[in-house]
Amino acid sequence: MATAELEVFSTAPPAPPARPRVLLIGSALASGSAAMVVLALVGQYARLRNDVIAGGSSWLPQEAHVGLTPGNMGMVTLTMSLVTVAWIVQALRNEDRTHALIAFAVTLLLGAAFINVTVFGWQQLGLGVASSTPALLIYTVTGLVVAMVGVGMLFLTVMAFRALGGQLTGRSAEGVVAAVLFWYVTVAVYAVVWYTVTITK
Amino acid sequence: MTVTEAPRAAAVEAAAAPSPSAPPAGLAAVVGSGDPRTIGKLFVGTSLLFLLASGVAGTLVGVEQSQSGTTEIFGADTALRVFTLHSTAGLFLGVLPLLLGLATAVIPLQVGATTVAFPRASAAAYWTWLASGGVMLATYALDGGPFGSDSDAVGLYVVALIAVIVALTVATVSVVTTVLTLRAPGMSLRRAPLFPWSMLVGGSVWLLVLPVQAAMLLLAFLDMRYGPNTFGAAGHLYDRIAWIFWQPTLYVIAVPALGIIGDIVPVFARRRHQRHKAAMVLLGLAATFGFGAWAQVSVTTDGSGSSPWVNGGPWQVVSVLAVLPVLGLLGLWTTTLGRGRPKLGTPLVLAMLSGLLVFLGIAGGIATAIVSLDLVGTTWMTAQALLVLIGTIVAALAGVAFWAPKLYGKLLPDALVRLGATLVVLGALVAAVPLAIAGSMGQSRFVAGGIDTVASGDVSTVETLNLVSAIGLGVTVFGALLVVGAMLVRRRGDGPGDDPWEGHTLEWTTTSPPPVGNFATLPAITSEAPLYDARYAPASSTESTD
Repeated sequence: MATAELEVFSTAPPAPPARPRVLLIGSALASGSAAMVVLALVGQYARLRNDVIAGGSSWLPQEAHVGLTPGNMGMVTLTMSLVTVAWIVQALRNEDRTHALIAFAVTLLLGAAFINVTVFGWQQLGLGVASSTPALLIYTVTGLVVAMVGVGMLFLTVMAFRALGGQLTGRSAEGVVAAVLFWYVTVAVYAVVWYTVTITK
Repeated sequence: MTVTEAPRAAAVEAAAAPSPSAPPAGLAAVVGSGDPRTIGKLFVGTSLLFLLASGVAGTLVGVEQSQSGTTEIFGADTALRVFTLHSTAGLFLGVLPLLLGLATAVIPLQVGATTVAFPRASAAAYWTWLASGGVMLATYALDGGPFGSDSDAVGLYVVALIAVIVALTVATVSVVTTVLTLRAPGMSLRRAPLFPWSMLVGGSVWLLVLPVQAAMLLLAFLDMRYGPNTFGAAGHLYDRIAWIFWQPTLYVIAVPALGIIGDIVPVFARRRHQRHKAAMVLLGLAATFGFGAWAQVSVTTDGSGSSPWVNGGPWQVVSVLAVLPVLGLLGLWTTTLGRGRPKLGTPLVLAMLSGLLVFLGIAGGIATAIVSLDLVGTTWMTAQALLVLIGTIVAALAGVAFWAPKLYGKLLPDALVRLGATLVVLGALVAAVPLAIAGSMGQSRFVAGGIDTVASGDVSTVETLNLVSAIGLGVTVFGALLVVGAMLVRRRGDGPGDDPWEGHTLEWTTTSPPPVGNFATLPAITSEAPLYDARYAPASSTESTD
């Protein structure tokens, strides 16, 4: 019996090579490029602010109100989402569909909450886009992060459908990991924006 | 000798199996194609046409600058816009897509892959790039472009340029991912040929630099349309673009060109590349020094722009260090040729000439970095850009001539390609050297006043220099036309065979042109030159390469 089993194994074709992480690597490269778009603008924001303050002027107009609360809430919301996206990956690796579904839903909810709180911050700002250069930069930088969160939600949703449809589970959850990687990059980028715009203003 | 990978064979069989529905033919086959060779050839062909348009525009602007105040081809305002067409079309519609096209078509073959990592994304990138590039050029007819006066057309130009950059970024992601993930079994990164490696290191830096350019353009667009219209105003828009033509960012564009040269030289030297791993390190250094997004023109609240990093210590250090990798590579190639049994094929001639042009352009950066020479913002820098970019184009043409059997199934007519490319190189030198001299005499970049900034006593000399430069650019365009003609004609008769050059890398193991799926079998890969190993196994065992 044991000999027969060995014979079966010896005539079996070789195992296929590990699937290359094409989507994950591609997403990592694209995430880096997307981050550079926002970080370049944050750099311009910091440089311009530095020049204006060094010239003895005030950076933000008097009527501007960059509230701490919306920015901080946005940061807290995205930080919480770091846990939920890790939960998604873990649940899929364990082939636990219920937990994966809950984690997807909570992540999307947190993403929507972030967009909501950012828009609230814009309403509180008290500046029109055309009113001044700082206003333009604030809207552009934060708007781009909102766009990244939106893309991340879309990416996660597509991967969620595929995962819950049975395509991406267990060790082949690469697509979901790719979406989660993009999400992590988005949160890291927002952390820089939050520190530059909300904290140091 | 051969190792057949079961899944690869299955994939090839599946791809070659008859489809239940009739395959598309004619235009539908081209438009709907996800075949990297088709997409690559489209990129190469179209970018060469855009390059010709860019060259003609540059020649006309040069003639305009040859007689201050008397020769009026366009009028001053239009001339400024034509100049920006020459520069932006030359880079974003010419040099970058030319390299990406060659990479998309050739790199899967070089690394032993059946296709690129994201074939549909590459196809989408091509069509987006083509449509956006067309819109970008069309806006010039609507009084757009960086110095245009119609704000809607200027806005459309900016959006089209952003779309072009996004498309180029997507195509780069596809190529870089291919090199990282789809290499054949046995091909570690250290065994990758130099062109894929150069696209990996150079392309990775492109992925960090191009988005910065897109971000600046986005900011300018939003400022122009919805903001206070300061740094996005038409007069300042070109500042948001021009830094990519300046050192050190300019240098990273040429990194894949160095990789192409590195793959051609050992084949024609009939010897393994001297110190292949050292060459990889040098290419990596060239790419690292070329990350220059930090040295761009910063926005200011009055829109005028400032370049706080230019002429600073780090900028000067990088400007000097950037020469060293290119110098090292030239040394390795010279040694490879010297120790081999060189045959003077057309791709080798073009490769070495292109290496010389790129080196001259980058070496000129040392003088630019010497503050007391006051060359920043002069046509000295324009000459540098011409040398580096035309050198890169010539390297790409060398690549097209070298890999023509794989691209087109035919060799290109040798004499025509050699004549055309030699004219391109000579024209580049004749175009750049007078501009460099004029720059040292104080002629500002064209967008900063050009000949109007020259001292009155030097005007006639500079006018002559500008005329010679324009003639040189004209010769370059004529030479490029000959090469394009050669690509259209191709060599008559039977195909060139699978390996007409006795190549060293995987692409020469398959047929010319390659079948669907590229390879049925792959040789064992134990070095960066598996075919060389197979051909000269006893001799190569005694060679010292590292």
